[in-house]
Amino acid sequence: MTLRLSGVGYRYAGATRPSLLDIDLALPNGSVVGLVGASEAGKTTLCLVASGLAPRVVGGQVRGTISLDDEDVDAWPMHRLSQRIGIGFQNPATQLSQVASTVFEEVAFGPMNLGVDRSDVVDGTWAALGSLGIEDLAGRDPARLSGGQQQLVAMAGLLAMHPEHLVLDEPTAQLDPAGTRLVGAAISQLAADGVSILVTEQKTDLLAAIASSVVVLAEGRIALSGPTDEVLADPRLADLGVAEPAAVRLRRAATSAGVDTARLEAALRD
Amino acid sequence: MVVRWIIAIAAFLVVAFIGIVGFGNFATGIDEEVFYDIEGADSFAVILAVALIVGFVAYAAVEYAQTRTFASISRQFDTRTIVLMPVAIAINIVLGAAVANALKIPIYLDSIGTILVGVLAGPIPGALTGFLSNMLWTYVVPPPFNSGAAAAFAIVAAVIGLVAGLVGRAAWLRPRPNRPMGQLLTGAVVTIGVIALMAYLSFLGYEAIIGESGITVANDNVAFVILGWLALALVVLTVIGLLYMLFARRDLTASYVVIAGLGTGIVAALISAPISANLFGGVTGAGTDFLVAAFRQAGTDIGAATLGQGLISDPIDKITTFFVVYLIVSAMATRMKARFPQGERLFDAPATDAADDGEWRGASA
Amino acid sequence: MARSLRLTDPARIPANSPGRGIPDVIGRPGPSPFHRLNPLTKATLATTTAVAAVVLGGLVGPSILVGAAVIVPAAMAGVLRRLLVMAAILALPIALSAFLINLFFFPGGETVLLRIGPVAATAEGLGFAMEILARILAISGAITLFYLTTRPADLVVDLERRGVSPRAAFVINASVQTVPAMVERAGQITAAQRARGLDTEGSIWRRVRGIVPIVGPVILGSIAEVEERTMALEARGFSRPGRRTLLWSPGDSSREAVLRWAMVLALAALIVGRMSGAWQ
Repeated sequence: MTLRLSGVGYRYAGATRPSLLDIDLALPNGSVVGLVGASEAGKTTLCLVASGLAPRVVGGQVRGTISLDDEDVDAWPMHRLSQRIGIGFQNPATQLSQVASTVFEEVAFGPMNLGVDRSDVVDGTWAALGSLGIEDLAGRDPARLSGGQQQLVAMAGLLAMHPEHLVLDEPTAQLDPAGTRLVGAAISQLAADGVSILVTEQKTDLLAAIASSVVVLAEGRIALSGPTDEVLADPRLADLGVAEPAAVRLRRAATSAGVDTARLEAALRD
Repeated sequence: MVVRWIIAIAAFLVVAFIGIVGFGNFATGIDEEVFYDIEGADSFAVILAVALIVGFVAYAAVEYAQTRTFASISRQFDTRTIVLMPVAIAINIVLGAAVANALKIPIYLDSIGTILVGVLAGPIPGALTGFLSNMLWTYVVPPPFNSGAAAAFAIVAAVIGLVAGLVGRAAWLRPRPNRPMGQLLTGAVVTIGVIALMAYLSFLGYEAIIGESGITVANDNVAFVILGWLALALVVLTVIGLLYMLFARRDLTASYVVIAGLGTGIVAALISAPISANLFGGVTGAGTDFLVAAFRQAGTDIGAATLGQGLISDPIDKITTFFVVYLIVSAMATRMKARFPQGERLFDAPATDAADDGEWRGASA
Repeated sequence: MARSLRLTDPARIPANSPGRGIPDVIGRPGPSPFHRLNPLTKATLATTTAVAAVVLGGLVGPSILVGAAVIVPAAMAGVLRRLLVMAAILALPIALSAFLINLFFFPGGETVLLRIGPVAATAEGLGFAMEILARILAISGAITLFYLTTRPADLVVDLERRGVSPRAAFVINASVQTVPAMVERAGQITAAQRARGLDTEGSIWRRVRGIVPIVGPVILGSIAEVEERTMALEARGFSRPGRRTLLWSPGDSSREAVLRWAMVLALAALIVGRMSGAWQ
């Protein structure tokens, strides 16, 4: 099960220049692909295009092909696509449906919309809550949770629709360190369960811990891509407007100070 | 499209005519004493409401007969509009309650959301937003925002939304900046002319009310003097705002805003006066009560007092509201506006895109 | 949803999971038989009572309605004290203004009871003011009783079960949740503005000036969120045509249906009687 973008470009309605060009990207099972870049590089736009919200909901024009297991999804309506690809955003509060008085109803909102049998809705909701470890929140009012908890509830709401792919646009941007750890752990767990995840993230430290590969966007094109270790250690990263992870900066500082980092790391490992 | 509107308007007129001729209780005629007839006004409001609903059903039926769908109606209810409506309803209720309970000024400001939805999405979502606002205001929202009186005026709010939808559809709120001075002067003259005409007509009305009622109003009647000054101050403020917008920003749309607000306000006053007079003795616990009291002290009947209050408060209120909505719409990003059903009527279409190479495609679903 | 994915695998539900049911806070039944009436029955009672009070007019009719359709059921539901407090808060501004204005400014009143400066309270004005008061009490009492014994969400679920479109249900439900959220937001901004020395008390002009910096950010902020909320809903299958699954719905019985129709028919009879002039 692979979500694949080939030669994808996208232009907002009324814009004279495209915001995305020549994007080639594959999201195989269980992979976590980190997406980084300077602001306005097209990260959010890529999330919208990959999830199908652009152009279906956002308008604008697209080119190239987006396929799920080699099937072109161009003609799929949003509610069909949303059962295969889930998308989450950075603001936890605006992702809540506003019609649920409990977390359980909030998470069940998607499957209810899809008209799934009631017993399947109930089972799927418990399973989604369970896979993020938040079953004990089921009876709580979602509006009265912390930002980190709300973000997990929003993710559970996506998982309850059983997507094979998740697109997360800066899920930790508005969270404190505790909330960030919660979401990071959840992403790793989901990938281990076989869901593939495309995640936009400013916090490269978090990506270093959870991503299997990283894509760097610049001016709507892919500037760098490859395994996480290589891309995040790439010297061009800073020029592309991306903060290096603390580990990379530390290693560089140590090297320039004359410390043999290879021996140090080996010693630390022992 | 045209056929549907013609049939809908015809249905409205036919029902209104049959209602007025056949069922309206106008037997008492206009009361010479008070220049106003409560029974008649009541019948008039009910008949208009029924005729409006019949007109809408006729429109929908013709569309269904023509196309087997309700596309032109359901297109006005895309997800974006559905999400905007609760926000608009909350704006109506929160602001309306704040103005009525705290400010005690003789306007309402409880239709900003309704007019916003009408302008952005269309007449039917606008009408529904107004209707739901007032129903929820009474039946569902918790105190202290609850208002016992609002539900009775749901039909008024619906009509306001409907009119706002038509104003938006006619592209009246499209910015018209940097117009030549000649056009601006014409706009100013026409607008001020309309306001002056309105003021003259209402003056004639008051003369008739007061003259016919046989009560002479002494010049030292305190309430009436205050009322006069207040009304004058509000009108002057509105005119200053309009002239500022016209000549500082050279935006001709100011004239459209004023005329749209004036028209909506008069319609709202005509429908709400009989409701207010019959249900609440002209009093709803808001700042407008002061005006009603002033009219009643001048010796007018409840019906005339509420109508007089409405004809002062409503146009000023709706002009202010249209003004606020125009500011909100101007503050929204073009990209955001364009996605609402009527959004493209709110700005001038941008220059056409770079030549299409055929590879680009829009949403196919 | 024929596909079976690993996430739904029952084996993945941990042992301490509350099981296959829904959490019991959802749709928890009310404390009294009146609370447990179907929401539509209670809404019908509130609406017919309010309309009947207007149609009846006078002093006696609305007073009887207040007793029979508001006080007695409220006592049965055990909410009488709260109802009286809330109805007082709700109706007080209207009732007070209506009473005073009609008492003092009733035109044509001749029997002067009390004279204060240029205005006089008349017996005719008092009679009329009492009638308006009875009407307002009947309307606000009926609505408060409904409000105190019904959760808004229950009414919406019930309406949706009866065929109201999910999109309309969404608008009602979301509005009910948005009002307090917006108030909270306005409160935060008000506190911030006060801290910066902006005045929200004092003369009318100062109050008007004070409200602008509060209202502006609240309105614009809420509208700016519309786009994100739209996308979030679309990502969750909101635009799928057709009915959606409901987790639960309030109970209803044929007895209650008969009761509702009886109330509506009684009201219709009242209106016809009043309009035909058979009874004044």
